[in-house]
This record gives sequence, structure tokens and C-alpha cells, in this order.
Amino acid sequence: MSSSPLLADLVEALRCLPGVGAKTAQRMAFHVLERDRAGARRLAERLAAAVERIGNCTRCRTFSEEPLCALCASSTRERSLLCVVETPVDQLAIEQATGYRGQYFVLLGRISPLDGLGPKELGLDLLAQRLAEGEVQELIVATNPTVEGEATAHMLAQLARAAGVRASRLAHGVPLGGELEFIDRGTLAHAFGGRQVL
Amino acid sequence: MRVDQQPGYILHARPYRETSLLLEVFSRDHGRVGLVARGVRRERSRLPRGVLQPLQPLLFDWIARGELGALVAAEIASAPFALAGDLLFSAMYVNELVSRLCARNDAHPLAFAAYAQCLDRLAADEPAGWTLRRFERELLADLGYALLLDRDAADAALLPEQDYAYDPESGARTWTAGDGRMPRVSGAALLALGADRTPDAAQLAQLRRLMRSVIRHHLDGELNAWTWARPAAPPTSG
Ligand SMILES: [Zn+2]
Repeated sequence: MSSSPLLADLVEALRCLPGVGAKTAQRMAFHVLERDRAGARRLAERLAAAVERIGNCTRCRTFSEEPLCALCASSTRERSLLCVVETPVDQLAIEQATGYRGQYFVLLGRISPLDGLGPKELGLDLLAQRLAEGEVQELIVATNPTVEGEATAHMLAQLARAAGVRASRLAHGVPLGGELEFIDRGTLAHAFGGRQVL
Repeated sequence: MRVDQQPGYILHARPYRETSLLLEVFSRDHGRVGLVARGVRRERSRLPRGVLQPLQPLLFDWIARGELGALVAAEIASAPFALAGDLLFSAMYVNELVSRLCARNDAHPLAFAAYAQCLDRLAADEPAGWTLRRFERELLADLGYALLLDRDAADAALLPEQDYAYDPESGARTWTAGDGRMPRVSGAALLALGADRTPDAAQLAQLRRLMRSVIRHHLDGELNAWTWARPAAPPTSG
């Protein structure tokens, strides 16, 4: 493909990005070399810095450069509400879509034996410690409505019960503006199973 | 080769490339197969993301080529197994067991039937421990690892009141103090499992240790579902 081993290495390295196959990686490599070496240098520096300096918050496990993330360190967030999410992306979605003023705990996954993810990998010991501190009044379980998410929610509910903390679960079902006829049957079954008293 | 309307269950789904899922499916006539559900993680997908879940009986259409097949369609065969709470962990254990013990593209129709029956029993609230032991027995038998549950390794009839050490390769032999490493199990427990007769609580605990040791032997390793320290359950030996 090329006479430059470095170029071949670059193409290979770019393929670690999601959705980037051999063709796309090649196009990216040629693009930066032909037209945007400054941009490439900036990207390389930012990547190196991010990988070097971004770790996980010691309290909520979300991405953070400091031992405590901004949200955990904030004095204006309610400390009685704790929302548990699977990923930092889920946390961001809730931050952007809702007026939630409490704090978070990020599992960085969900219970899945086949992926080697159990209570230890999800930091449930850290969460149990947090609940034992006594500040949290309500644990809001925002795991996904999948089998693994439900199993995780069940484990979180047990943890909350053991600590004497109320647990709640996000409602899921028929999307806003959705018509029953067009909703996929799995969603409909879930919504039907989770129906509420009027 | 194209496969149509094949009954099966998703054992596991993991993200694959940017918008796809890699499904580990337990099918009736083709055993465990790996299927790529292309583009299913896009907002508008032709494939029904919502039903591509474990515990949902499905009918799959796919095109088989090489190691992984391409999923063409999936439709609901019947209502999902209604499992909640601790039973979800039992189901995840069963899925891990099948994924780890069954090789890909190897049909195990008897194990497939036993799998559906196991989930049915769990959903019907039959005692989970006994339900799992019965499934393990059927799965191991269909894989060619059947336990010897009426005679000992020397071909003598098992005695209910006798304690045995169970060797996964050769079967039961009379328990002696030197058998510390082997699971100790009463003849009554072995006979109950063999005759599909509900064991008492002590026998069930012995059978749990027995099956774990046999499965560990055939896997040559541990199942992740075993290593979870469950707050409710006391730590188990063996
Ligand atoms: Zn934090």
C-alpha cells in the first residue's frame, strides 16, 4: 500500500476508533499528511494529554482530572439524591435533558458475567460505603431497561435496602409522542408490564 | 447458506463496530452461533433492537458464512420469560454456562429443549436451585459429559446411605478421608438427581458443589457468575 512503514502504522493505529475500518483509516491518514499537519499535531498532543491526565473521580467514578470531579466537589448539588448510571455518556444525557440537581454514581458498565463485569468491577463496594455515610436519602437507579440493566437495578435495590435508603427506578415505556401501533413490541411489552395506577 | 425461521434465544449481545451488535445465539438446529446484527444500534434500524434481548424467544433468519452469520430478520416467537429479581441472576448464569460449555455451530437439540424448560420453570417460580441442577444434568449429558448417577465407578449400585467422592472422569467411589479435594456427596443425592426426584435441602447443597466441580473440570476454569460475592448468600466451599 505504501513505501512508508510509519504511514502503515498510523493507518493501523487509527482503526482503534469506533466505526473506522481500513478504508476510512487510510483516508484519515492521507488527509492529515496532505492537508492538516498542524491539526494532526494538536490531536496527537490532546490525545496524549487526555490519556495521561484523565482518570476517574474517587467518589463517583466518572471521568475526571482531579481526584474529585467538579460535580462531586460542587456545594450546590443536593447530596441527598444519588443517581446511578451505567456510563459517563448516560450521566451527560441526564444532565442535559433533566433539571436533576443531585449527585451521580457511574458504574462504568452493567452486571454481565459474560463480559466479566460483576459487583467488584462496577464499584459497588464504593457505592455501599457512600450509602453508609448516611447523607443519601434516595438512590435513583437509571440503568438501561435491558436484562443486564434490570439485573443491575435489582442488585442496586438490594444494596439500598441493606443501607436503609429508598430506591427509585426511571420509568420506561411508550415514548412521548409515540403511537402504540408503531412501537416495537418489546418496548410495548415493557411499558405494559410497568403500567402505573391512575 | 441461508437459515430461516430458526427458533433461538440470545445468550449475549455486545456492541460490534460502530452501529452493530454481535449476538451470541443459542439456536435449535445449529447450536450456539455468532450473528452480526448490522446497523441495529442506529436510530432507525430495519432490525428490531427492542426485541434483541436475552429471555425473549425469537425466530431468526440469517445468512451463514464463515465464523459469523449475518442476521437478516428476527421476530418474536412468544412472550418473553417473565423473570425478575434474583431469577435474573439465575438466567444470566445459565446463559454464561451455555456460552462457555457449547462450542459454536454444534447442534445440541436436547440441551436446547432443556434450556427452554429451565427458563420456563424459573418463570413459574419453581425452586431455582433444583431447576438449575436439572438443567446442568441435561446440558452435560447432551454434550457427552453425562454423570453416572445410578452406579459407582466400579459398576456397583449406589447405596443411598453411603457417602461418595465424585470423580468427573470415572464417577462415584466410596468416600475416604484422602478424598479432601473431591466433592463429597451422598448416594441418596446422586440417586435423586439421576431419577429426577426432588432432593432435600442438604442433598441439594451437595449437588450444587458436585455440579460446580464437574463443570469446572470440563471448562478447565471458573464461571464469572460463581465469583460474584452475593450479599444474601454465605460463601460456599468447593
Ligand atoms: Zn465525582
